[in-house]
Amino acid sequence: MAFYNKIIKKSIWVFHVSASPCNNCDIEILDLITPGYDIERFGIKLVGSVRHADVLLVTGIVSYKVAPRIKQLYEQAAKPIFVIGIGTCTAGGATFKTSYNKAGVPLEKVIPVNAYVTGCPPKPEAMIDGVLKLLGTLK
Amino acid sequence: MSKCRIPLGPFHPLLEEAEFFDIKVEGEKVVDIEMETGWMHRGHEKISETRSYTQSIFLVERICGICSTSHPFAATHAMEDIDNVEIPERAQYIRIFIGEMERIHSHLLWLGLAGHFIGYDTLWMWTWKYREPVLQIFEKVSGNRNHYAMFRVGGVSRDFDNALIPEIHPVLDMLEKKMLMIAGAAKDDPVLRSRLKGVGVLTKEDAINYCANGPTARASGVDIDVRRDDGLEYNLINFDVIVLPNGDVYDKLVLRVLEIIESVKIARQCLDAFPKIGGDYLNKVKHISPGEGIGRYEAPRGEVFHYIRSDGSNRPLRHKIRAPSFSNIPTYKASCLGIPLADALITLAAVDPCYCCTERSIRVVDKNNKKLEHNLLTMSREKTANIKKAVAGSEKTPIDRIFED
Amino acid sequence: MSDKGTEFFEKFQDKITKVIKKPKRIYFNVKNEDIWEISDYLSNTMGCRLSVCTATEVYDGLEVLYHFSDDTTGIYYSPRVKTGLKNPEINSITPLIEGANWIEREMYDLFGIKFKGHPDLKKLLTINNPHFSEDDHPMRFNRNRTKEK
Repeated sequence: MAFYNKIIKKSIWVFHVSASPCNNCDIEILDLITPGYDIERFGIKLVGSVRHADVLLVTGIVSYKVAPRIKQLYEQAAKPIFVIGIGTCTAGGATFKTSYNKAGVPLEKVIPVNAYVTGCPPKPEAMIDGVLKLLGTLK
Repeated sequence: MSKCRIPLGPFHPLLEEAEFFDIKVEGEKVVDIEMETGWMHRGHEKISETRSYTQSIFLVERICGICSTSHPFAATHAMEDIDNVEIPERAQYIRIFIGEMERIHSHLLWLGLAGHFIGYDTLWMWTWKYREPVLQIFEKVSGNRNHYAMFRVGGVSRDFDNALIPEIHPVLDMLEKKMLMIAGAAKDDPVLRSRLKGVGVLTKEDAINYCANGPTARASGVDIDVRRDDGLEYNLINFDVIVLPNGDVYDKLVLRVLEIIESVKIARQCLDAFPKIGGDYLNKVKHISPGEGIGRYEAPRGEVFHYIRSDGSNRPLRHKIRAPSFSNIPTYKASCLGIPLADALITLAAVDPCYCCTERSIRVVDKNNKKLEHNLLTMSREKTANIKKAVAGSEKTPIDRIFED
Repeated sequence: MSDKGTEFFEKFQDKITKVIKKPKRIYFNVKNEDIWEISDYLSNTMGCRLSVCTATEVYDGLEVLYHFSDDTTGIYYSPRVKTGLKNPEINSITPLIEGANWIEREMYDLFGIKFKGHPDLKKLLTINNPHFSEDDHPMRFNRNRTKEK
């Protein structure tokens, strides 16, 4: 495990899961890979399949319909996998806390979570900071 | 030929958002598409009945992060429609400015993703690079990059700082120049042209029958624009409504580029007006009387519709919301059938629903010729040159054409 | 109001009741039997576009408000149809206007109003959702809640 953690810090591949968000955190995540921020400089890369990923970025309140699929995605991912909840929605529901279609507020109800980055939406700098802080805790 | 069923989604590398498409194909031809919605359902209409009017505005802002000014715009219109509230002139200009800057950033976002869908990643990186300064303007004006929270019943919640005007003008100049460049590229680039021209045609009759609106309808020759038809704030501004006749994906792309240029002109008119018009920016409304009101606004994707029924208390009795994609997405039934599968994806994306991002990679080895990727690159360059001769009839590249102008 | 609007109200004056007029918004009540004819006139003769329909639960029943937008003048014509709380049923206008398909499915989903003559009436937003059974309509006040596990 220690060996793996040493390697994963060099270059992490993230997979983006959108689970009933307002689309705002999603476009900020996409913003990260475009020339404005360009996180590929740090070796962080957005991948198309969950099987290639080291970190899952989950956004939004998880609705009842999408919750079983999120569990499936988590089971499909190669372990160890780290989960980061992006946005206040995943941590506390934000403005949707009284919604009738929320299954995952907080996200721990659905899948295990390693870190939350709060904000509505969090700034791209905050997301980079969140990912790097999570990596800092690995030994 | 036997039919084959291709399920797409809900979590698929092609789709940024969870959405499920059930595509039936015969060979490469799409014969039927069914779509299953409900993955993103959050129940805004029910939540809004438990919030006060001021809180409702911040709630509807979070329907969509990309058009997060359009929904408050329409919701405040609906609340003001009940009592015929008058809005101070300065507040009207601030509203228009925020709305038009949002249209610019939303259309740039779509342009980039459309480029990504057809495998033209350069366009994606370019347009998102030009989008970044727009978001920085939002941060300076309102304090946040995406949810601006500028709207209140009877005006706006914070004033515009006139000291920012000299910083904004260069960004608008840059955007206009770059959009002319992209319009030139769309006009001259043979690859872009042959990939988009005549693809996914939505005829005028279908657009009317499916009640399409916004850029989807305007690219099919239907002349509707809520900004002009409903008036209100936009009576202060001179602008043109752009209508194109063909209804294919190419026209939708060109229409959005031209609309960005038009929005830049509107934003300039607002910036010119700000120093001349002082005074109050909020007409405080303490009570909304019983009744019903309809408000609408031309969002980047089409007409946003809000209906509010009040019983005189501090909360809405019923708050109906209709986003433009709700009317525009069903048009895939008219535009996607009978076209190849590869074109269906850009056609689905052309109405600008809120899903995005394609991931594609291909590695081909021909066993007989032993051709590898670098050979493919040469082959593709040769093919581009051939298409260029066939389609454009001229040897000039887009960059040459721009330098000529 | 435009000439077309005056003509419309003269033609259907015995089928329209309770007209509320504002400068750009007109609300009026019609009966369930007449909604097809009135939608036909508004959309095909006057060239209006169906924006959306609003279903509302009020104390004595359910009502559906159709919003037809006349894009040349910016006026909204909103016919209102009322129905009872038990077994609500309204005539569908989907065979007339293709754009009403999803709108009626959404109202069936959230309020449980059945549209007679709709080609494919099934839930739109809570379809295949394990938390909502077939007769659970989340916007109703007395909702048939699915039992939580």
